[in-house]
Amino acid sequence: MTIASPGLAELPQSLAHETERGPFGWVATVDHKRIGILYLLTSLAFFLVGGVEALLIRIQLARPNAHFLSPDAYNQIFTMHGTTMIFLVVMPTLVGLSNYLVPLMIGARDMAFPRLNALGYWLFLFGSLLLHFSLLAGGAPSAGWFGYAPLSETPYSSTPGTDYWIVALLVLGIGSVSGAINLIATVITLRTPGLSIRRLPLFVWMTFVTAILIILALPVLNAALAMLFIDRRLNAHFFEATGGGSAILWQHFFWTFGHPEVYIMALPAFGMISEVIPVFSRKPIFGYEFVAASTVAIAVLSFGVWAHHMFAVGLGHRADMAFAIGSMAIAVPTGVKIFNWIATMWGGTLRFTTAMMFATAFLLEFVVGGLSGITFAAAPIDWQVTDTYYLVAHFHYVLFGGTAFAIFAGIYYWFPKMTGRMLDERWGRAHFWLTVLGFNLTFFVQHFLGIMGMPRRVFTYPDLPGWGALNMASTVGAFIMAASVVVFGANLAISRFRGKVAGHNPWDAWTLEWATTSPPPPHNFDRVALVRSRRPLWELAHPASPTAAASMAERLPPAKTVVAVWAFIVSETAFFIVLILSYVFFNLSTAASAAALDAKTTAVFTVCLLASSVTLYVAEKSLERGRIVAFRIWLVSTFLLGMIFMGGQGIEYTTLFHRGFTVDSSLFASSFFTLTGFHGLHVTLGLIALGILSALAFADDFGGKSLRALRAVGLYWHFVDAVWVVVFSIVYLRTVL
Amino acid sequence: MNTRALLLHEWDFGLVVPIVCVLAFVAYRVRFGRLLQRRAGFFGIAVALFFIALASPIGVLARGTLFSAHMLQHLLLMLAVPPLALLGLPREPLDPPSFRLDRDRGALGYVAPWLGGVGAMWIWHARPLCNAAAVSTTVQTFQTVSLVALGLAFWSPILSPRRAARMAPFPAILYLFAACIACTILGIMVTLSPVEVCSAYLHPVDSLGVLALLRDGWGLSCREDQEIGGLLMWVPACFVYAASILGTLARYYGEEHVSPRAVGAPR
Repeated sequence: MTIASPGLAELPQSLAHETERGPFGWVATVDHKRIGILYLLTSLAFFLVGGVEALLIRIQLARPNAHFLSPDAYNQIFTMHGTTMIFLVVMPTLVGLSNYLVPLMIGARDMAFPRLNALGYWLFLFGSLLLHFSLLAGGAPSAGWFGYAPLSETPYSSTPGTDYWIVALLVLGIGSVSGAINLIATVITLRTPGLSIRRLPLFVWMTFVTAILIILALPVLNAALAMLFIDRRLNAHFFEATGGGSAILWQHFFWTFGHPEVYIMALPAFGMISEVIPVFSRKPIFGYEFVAASTVAIAVLSFGVWAHHMFAVGLGHRADMAFAIGSMAIAVPTGVKIFNWIATMWGGTLRFTTAMMFATAFLLEFVVGGLSGITFAAAPIDWQVTDTYYLVAHFHYVLFGGTAFAIFAGIYYWFPKMTGRMLDERWGRAHFWLTVLGFNLTFFVQHFLGIMGMPRRVFTYPDLPGWGALNMASTVGAFIMAASVVVFGANLAISRFRGKVAGHNPWDAWTLEWATTSPPPPHNFDRVALVRSRRPLWELAHPASPTAAASMAERLPPAKTVVAVWAFIVSETAFFIVLILSYVFFNLSTAASAAALDAKTTAVFTVCLLASSVTLYVAEKSLERGRIVAFRIWLVSTFLLGMIFMGGQGIEYTTLFHRGFTVDSSLFASSFFTLTGFHGLHVTLGLIALGILSALAFADDFGGKSLRALRAVGLYWHFVDAVWVVVFSIVYLRTVL
Repeated sequence: MNTRALLLHEWDFGLVVPIVCVLAFVAYRVRFGRLLQRRAGFFGIAVALFFIALASPIGVLARGTLFSAHMLQHLLLMLAVPPLALLGLPREPLDPPSFRLDRDRGALGYVAPWLGGVGAMWIWHARPLCNAAAVSTTVQTFQTVSLVALGLAFWSPILSPRRAARMAPFPAILYLFAACIACTILGIMVTLSPVEVCSAYLHPVDSLGVLALLRDGWGLSCREDQEIGGLLMWVPACFVYAASILGTLARYYGEEHVSPRAVGAPR
C-alpha cells in the first residue's frame, strides 16, 4: 500500500478510519477526501448553472436590439452568473482540491479539524441554496456581484434578492474562513517528519498563502455585508449618501476584499500549474524559492492596490498615480512565476498529456489576461476602457484562461488519484481543443468590442458597425465552450467507471499523494517515509541522485487548537478593523458621541471586563499547578465579570433607546451600535464558551484536552478584551479628552 | 523662487547634523575597523539619508511648510535609515547555524519594538504633537531622535547582526506584514481624511518665500499636499515592508544550502 523505506513515521489515528457506505456515509462524512469530492461535485453542478446563465447572456447579446431577455432578467442573470462563478464555482473547486490533496501531499491522515471541515462544506452548500432560493422569493439579486451601493440599497433594489445575496455571501464567507483556518492549522501542525516548509509542494505552499489571504480578506467583506444588511433591514445609512453615508466607502471595503480575492482564486491555480509542469517536463521546478517567495510578494501587495478598481471614482490624480505604480509592481512577482514555469519546461522531456496541454495553454492565456491587466493599471487607459467589454475580456482571461485552465489541468492530473481510473486522453484532447477554440473566440473579440466602446452590464446594444458581427462571433464561441463542457462531463462520467486503471503513480510523479493507493484508503497512509527533499518519491526511486539532501533539526509543531485560535483572531482583527474604521470615518467630530455617551459609567464596566482577563489567566495558572478548587473559583469569577460587562452594555443600550438613539437615528448611532453590538456578540460567544468550560470544570476532572480548550478560549477572551480597549479609547475616551 | 533654486540653495546644514554624521562614521571605524568593506556601504547610505532627511530641502520644508515633505522625512528616518544602518553592521561570524527563536527575548521582546515602531508613526500624527513638531525646533529634535531610536528597535528583530537576536522567519514575516497593515491604515486615514491632520501646514509662516512656488508653481493645495503625504505612508512604505519580507524569505531559503555542512552531514 505504501512505499517501504527505512525511517517510517507512524501517523496519528484519523477520525475517518471507519467509513459508512451508501448516501448516509457521504452526508455524515468527516473524511477530507470525501468532503473534497463533495465540494468538487457541487461546484461542478454550479458550473453548469453558471454556464447556462452565461449562454443566456450570450444569446441575448448575439444580435443588436434583441429582446430575448428583459433588462431586469438580464441584470439578475449577470449578477447570478458572476456570483455563482466566483463564490460557488471557482472558490469551492479550489477548496475542494486543496481539501482532497493537502493532507495527502503533506503525509497526514486528515485535516486538523475534520468536523470543522465538514461544517465548511455544509455552510457552502446551504449558503449557495440560500442564494438560489431568492428566485422563489421575488427574484434573484440584480445589483451585480460587486453589489455597489447605493444600487444595492433598498430604494434602488427593493426586492429581497439582494438580502438573500448578502446573507448567502455571509454564510459562504464564514464557511471559507473556517476552511482557511483549518488549512492553516493542518499545514502548520500535521506535516510528516522531514517535510519542512522549505520542502512543501508548491501547491500546498500556495494554498497555505491563499488561506492567509482568505482569513484577512473575507472578514472585510463580511463586515461590509453586515453594514449593508443593517442599511437595508434596519434603515441605517452607512452607504447611502442621502442619509449622510458614503457609497464610495462600500467600494473601498468591497475592493479591499475584492483584490485579494483575485489572488485567492489565482494562487491555488498557480500552485497546480507548479505541480503539473515539472512532472510532465521531467524536471524539478526551476527556481522553487522564487516561485514560493513571489507568492508571498503577490499576497502582500494584493492588499495595497485595491484602489485601482476605483480609478473612475475620482480619487484624485495623486492617488491614481500611487495605485498605478503599486498595481504595476504586482506584475513583477507574477512575471517571475511565468518565467520559472517556462524555464522548467525549457530543455525538459515534455509529455503533452491533456493535463500538460491545459497547463501550457494556461501560460499563454494567463499572459494575455495579465498583459491586459497591466494596461488597466495605467489610470488613463482605465478611464477609456473601464466598464467596457475590454474589462470583461480581461478578467475572463484571468479567471477562465488562468484559473479554469489550471483547474482542468489539475483535474486531469489528479482524477486518477481520486478515482483510481485515468481520464480518457482522446476525449481529453477534444475537450482541450474545444475549450481553447471556444474560449478565445468568445473573449478575444470582446477586447475589440470594449475598445469600440461597448459598455458592460447593459442588456442590449445599438446596431453599430461591426458590433453585431463581433458579438455573434462571441456567442458562437460561448456555445463551442458549452460543447467542450459536455465533452468534459462525458469524459468524467465514462472514465469514472470504464477508464484505464491508474495504479499508485501513473504519471511517475514525486509528491506524497502518489505514494498511496488510488483512490487512497480512508486513513490515507499506513506509514510515510521520512521526507528528505522536495521530491520524496524521486529520492526513493533514485537514491543515488538526490535532488538536494539536507536534514534540519525538527521542532515540535505547536498545538493545533492554538494555531487555529490565532488564525481566527487574525481574521476577527480584520473584521473589527473595518467596523472601527467606519466608526472613525463617520465620527470625525466627537459632538454626537459626547452628547450620547457616558464614558465614566462605561469605564467601570470596562474595568470588569479587563479584570476578567486577569482572572482567566489566574484560572489557567491554577489549573496548570493542579489547584482545582482555585481554578473553579477563578473560572466562575471570569464568567461573572463578563456577565457584569454585558449587563452594563444592556443598561447603556436601554438608556440610549429611551433617549431616542436607535440604529437608524443617525450615522453616529448606526456606527456605534454596529461596532459595540458586534463586540457584545463576541463577548456573548466567549461567555457561552466559558459557561461550557465551567460546567465541565465542575462535572469531572479537567485535564489534557480540556486544558487545551481552556487555553484556546483564553486566547479568544483576551483578544475580545483587547478589542474593547481599542473600542473604548476610540468611542468613549475621545469624548472626554 | 523656482524649483532649481529651492533644491540647490535651501539646505540647512546647521552644526548638529553634520557632527552627528561624522561621529557615526568615527564610531563605526573605531568599533569595526575598516570603512572600506561591503557592509559599510549600507552604513554610508544610512548616514547619507539621515543627512538628507534633516539638512536638505526635505528637512527644511518639513519644518512647518510642506506636509508631504514632513512625511517623507518620517519615512526616511524610520524605514530607511535604521534598517540600512543595521544592515551596515558586520554580521557576527560565530553564529549557531539554525534559525531559532531567541529564548531570551520572549514574546514581549517582539511586541514592544513593534508597538514602539508603529506607535511612533501613529503618535507623531496626533494633531497636537504633529503641530508642535512642525513649529518647535526642540520638539522636532525630540521627534527625530525618537523616530530613529524606535526605528532601530523596530528593525533589530529583523536585521540584527546577531543571528540569535533575529526572529524566526515566519514570525518575522507576520511582524512585518502587521506593520505594513498598520502603516496602510494610517496612510488611508491621512489620505482620505477630510480634516487637516496637522493644521500647522494649513497656513505656514513663509519665511523661505517658497509658498508661491509650492501653491502655484507645483500646484499643491493643502489638501493635495496631505493626500501625497498619506499616499507616501500608504504605498511606498508598504514596499519597504514587502521588500524586507522578501529579504527574510530569501534568507530562509538560503539557509538550506549551508545547513548540510553546518550539521556535519556526509558530503
